[in-house]
Amino acid sequence: MTAGKTKTRLNIGADPREFQKRPSWTNEDILGLLDEEDGTLDPRIYTDEDLYRLEQERVFGRAWILLGHETHVPKPGDFLTTYMGEDPVILVRQKDKSLRVFLNQCPHRGMRICRTDGGNAKSFTCSYHGWAYDLGGNLINVPYESEAFCSDFNKSEWGPTHARVETYKGLVFANWDKNAPTLLEYLSDATYYMDHMLDRTPAGTEVIGGMQKWIIPCNWKFAAEQFCSDMYHAGTVSHLSGIEAGLPEGMELSDAKIPTVGYQFRAKWGGHGTGFYVGEPGMLLAIMGPKVTEYLTDSEAASRAEQHLGSAERARQLMVQHMTVFPTCSFLPGINTVRTWQPRGPHETEIWAFTVVDADAPEEVKEEYRRQTLRTFSAGGVFEQDDGENWVEIQSVLRGHQARKRRFNIQMGKGRSGVGNKDFPGSIGYVYNEEAARGLYRQWIRMMTEPSWETLGP
Amino acid sequence: MIDEKMRAATRQGDISLEALSLQHEVEQFYYREALLLDRHEFNDWFDLLDEDIRYFMPIRTNRTRREQKKLEYTKDNEFAHFDDDLTMMRGRQRKLMSDVGWSENPASRTRHIVGNVLIEEELSASELSVVSSFIVYRNRLERQVDIFAGERLDVLRRAENELGFKIAKRTIHIDQSTILSNNLSLFF
Ligand code: FES
Ligand SMILES: [Fe+2]
Repeated sequence: MTAGKTKTRLNIGADPREFQKRPSWTNEDILGLLDEEDGTLDPRIYTDEDLYRLEQERVFGRAWILLGHETHVPKPGDFLTTYMGEDPVILVRQKDKSLRVFLNQCPHRGMRICRTDGGNAKSFTCSYHGWAYDLGGNLINVPYESEAFCSDFNKSEWGPTHARVETYKGLVFANWDKNAPTLLEYLSDATYYMDHMLDRTPAGTEVIGGMQKWIIPCNWKFAAEQFCSDMYHAGTVSHLSGIEAGLPEGMELSDAKIPTVGYQFRAKWGGHGTGFYVGEPGMLLAIMGPKVTEYLTDSEAASRAEQHLGSAERARQLMVQHMTVFPTCSFLPGINTVRTWQPRGPHETEIWAFTVVDADAPEEVKEEYRRQTLRTFSAGGVFEQDDGENWVEIQSVLRGHQARKRRFNIQMGKGRSGVGNKDFPGSIGYVYNEEAARGLYRQWIRMMTEPSWETLGP
Repeated sequence: MIDEKMRAATRQGDISLEALSLQHEVEQFYYREALLLDRHEFNDWFDLLDEDIRYFMPIRTNRTRREQKKLEYTKDNEFAHFDDDLTMMRGRQRKLMSDVGWSENPASRTRHIVGNVLIEEELSASELSVVSSFIVYRNRLERQVDIFAGERLDVLRRAENELGFKIAKRTIHIDQSTILSNNLSLFF
């Protein structure tokens, strides 16, 4: 179980030869999918089968993918099965408390090693011919090894493929590519904005048990982009009925205060983005109710968060923050729903969602987080129901040839973001904006066209 | 997992007029309730929820047999598909009736088929615990089709309304781990 042994099974990123040999999409073609200057996007980015296949290798084979939270697997032997792109993986807590991630595929004949969602295990035994693996993903037992195998069979060479695993303040990410930057480098200047959810208190966060999974027949990029860059849909039309559902009885939609002041941030590298309102709590109230709103803006915990994060703006004034860490990790600081958009072909996405809370929050606040996030952001959520509605319709319209030929408008806020906001670092623009979306697609295009981290890296 | 109480109830073979008429009444309640949902008489349906309703659908997971009992369903303090009190359900009602509630405007076409109705226990003079199975077919917009199946564990309470009962508690065990639909904008 030495580190050296594991290393030999790590991938070496995307194969540079692959970048030349596929005629269907040349680098030039891919570069043409986004025109940041004009602000247009080619919708084939959401529908093309070949692009999807390339994306599995070049994006999902090299990016840091969110798997869950440290507290999903607190004890040695605790494990969670999940995915990196379309590849199934097992995340396991080791006896020494470290984490391991390996492909959920038995290298003998490819059977899925573990077929449950999670639990606690001492080892994993393949249900096809019984090859057994320890918690670290090393092959430890092969039935009839001495009677049946051959002189050059070496168990240490036949464990499953391993991924790198690193955490950022509780969130667990994994990466197949040994040449990829560290998670911290990869997150770039986005960590400042992630901390609004993950680092309000020295106690950090913990997860509320249970992973909700459902499918949306649309490309994963619609979801990732929206959480990265689209407050516009929330402040205009998409979620009006969600807001209605959260109004105190007797109050009309026209009385609801929809905020208008806020900002959007585009990471200087990596395609990450976030946006938020400042000051007006109306929408947060409709989503999370008075108890959580008070906890976040006007409580002892809020003053402590202000000290810990260093400013009242960050700790108490941000409302309804949305965020994506490229490519598929999205979350809403304050509302605290976290999810991975699992790609399932160009036309389908599985959502894997969970909720985190400040580990030292009072029990009744944790309970309120649980009830309100499942009321608003889940398959039955009064907000999230309507997101799925939009993306499914777009995807279905894109079956049309003419529909795929018409480039989308992605001009909002073009040339209007910049560094220099007194409260918020990095490249900042108005809250209704597509600057972060342009950043997300730019990163996607770079990963799809640049074989080496030497040019691609931060 | 038939527990002792349920075994007693199902084995007793009580065919007294009283037992038969109660069974009939409960089944009629479910048929009429289903009709309200399927005919989009939502205000009348929401009126069937009692003040202290808990409308609860835990998440169902894949576990080894060894861990299934302990871990298959998410627990009370964990995430769920639904875990609503009456205030939250009233909010859902406002959304459902709204002109801007896009996930149900245009509305879904649904068919709730309720069967296998078993009165499990008379909890008190006014409360029954009832188990039933459902299949819900949903057809939506041009060609979306969803089929859900599962079990409902209800507490029905005597009420002075046309149907004779209100729902005091509904726990829904849906027969899916990953929800195979883009939303749960409907009720079970
Ligand atoms: S495929 Fe796993 S032991 Fe044969
Ligand atoms: Fe949304």
